[in-house]
Amino acid sequence: MIKELEDVADVPAVHICTVVPISKTVGANRIVPAIAIPHPLGDPKMSPEEEKALRRQIVEKALKALTTDVEEQTVF
Amino acid sequence: MRLELGNIYVKDVQFGAKTEFKDGIVYVNKEELIKELQDERLSKIDVDIVRPGDSVRICPVKDVLEPRVKVSGNGQVFPGFFGNAEVVGSGRTHVLKGMTVLTVGKIVGFQEGIIDMTGPGADYTPFSKTINLVILADKVEGLKQHEHEAAVRMAGLKATRYIAEVARNVEPDEIKVYETKPLAQQLNEYPELPKVAYVYMLQSQGLMHDTYLYGVDAKQILPTFIYPTEVMDGAIISGNCVSSCDKNTTFHHMNNPIIYDLYERHGKDYNFVGVICTNENVTLLDKERSSNFTAKLVEFLGVDGVIISEEGFGNPDADLIMNCRKISALGVKTVCVTDEYAGRDGASQSLADSHPSADAVVSGGNANEVITLPKLDRVIGYIDAVNVIAGGFDGSLAEDGSITVEIQAITGATNELGYNKMGALGF
Repeated sequence: MIKELEDVADVPAVHICTVVPISKTVGANRIVPAIAIPHPLGDPKMSPEEEKALRRQIVEKALKALTTDVEEQTVF
Repeated sequence: MRLELGNIYVKDVQFGAKTEFKDGIVYVNKEELIKELQDERLSKIDVDIVRPGDSVRICPVKDVLEPRVKVSGNGQVFPGFFGNAEVVGSGRTHVLKGMTVLTVGKIVGFQEGIIDMTGPGADYTPFSKTINLVILADKVEGLKQHEHEAAVRMAGLKATRYIAEVARNVEPDEIKVYETKPLAQQLNEYPELPKVAYVYMLQSQGLMHDTYLYGVDAKQILPTFIYPTEVMDGAIISGNCVSSCDKNTTFHHMNNPIIYDLYERHGKDYNFVGVICTNENVTLLDKERSSNFTAKLVEFLGVDGVIISEEGFGNPDADLIMNCRKISALGVKTVCVTDEYAGRDGASQSLADSHPSADAVVSGGNANEVITLPKLDRVIGYIDAVNVIAGGFDGSLAEDGSITVEIQAITGATNELGYNKMGALGF
């Protein structure tokens, strides 16, 4: 998906992904690490407020990554 | 640690007035067994017997187990669940060969398996060739899925223990001896042979994707070292509701062919020094930590080569590759045992991750291959589950009773311990 978006549709993309090595293997250029496979953008141990803050932080990091020029595969 | 396995070949399993073993037949007092399995979490328990060739489809299958009883030596089979977590793997254990205890329950629905006792589906599962004592257990109203899983898991362990007891005083048909010595002695025993260990990856993506080592949820362990014979006494059991083609049932663990085959040539072609158990957790930090510790233990043992087996697919591919990469970096040779999700045409990338160090790989087959299973006369369980089972899809169950599924829906089809007949060849 991430490759098709960039290669075919020419749309820059960010991969928010828990297992960064897999993201690298499949060829994502902008990678933002996620929390865990069953809950990439959340954490059931947190309160809803903390979880929302965490989610916002990851999404903002991804938006920043999206607007950053990269020359090679980059983990933000 | 030295274990004698006394194999007793079972000719048939039948219901009878008394639970006993006589003339090659296991007789089961059904009422007594059901009483043994009473659990306030389960509303209705029933028991059935199916044999190879019966026109029977069993679905959804949760776990398969093999009756074994400790006749001498420490502890009980399934340590951590029974007894006081004594270390098992020594003395003598009797095994009822050719039969299984098989649990059925609609727990997660999409992550249990199908076993056909006849027809084309039967070729894909080893449990079409065994006589299966099937335990069906319904949950009480309102019981959560993970509680249902725990209840059916215990029912399977208890039923297996109950049946295995009949083997205690039976003279086995054959006795096989397996022995691994304390590390320093074992390393010195065959100094001229290459030293080999086995890295045993346990599914631990939980909840309900869990494996237990001495009763401990494997997601909570740091990689650890065990004697191979401990596995033969049920030290590792399955608590898994994952794609059934490549989950290791408790039966698979007890009969892990990598361990048995390594023993076959132990002292002849190589020196099999032991087993490292590790897990497959869901955060990157856990994956890095466990693979770091696994590689450290390999270095600690000082072996020349390891066999690494994966359980499941997808993100555990990353654990497999991390183990392979980090162990190879020590100069130790590796062989990975896995299966493939290469798409229905087999043309897609087989694993989610890869690395040049994974240059010796054994495959259990492509789980995405599609098969049509004709209607069978009788269904044990809940056949509507096939529309949502992993490997099935809406419409899998046709009006004529046939089902079209990927082989990932068949219990044990692409087993990653090699307990099946499929493989892949490179060209």
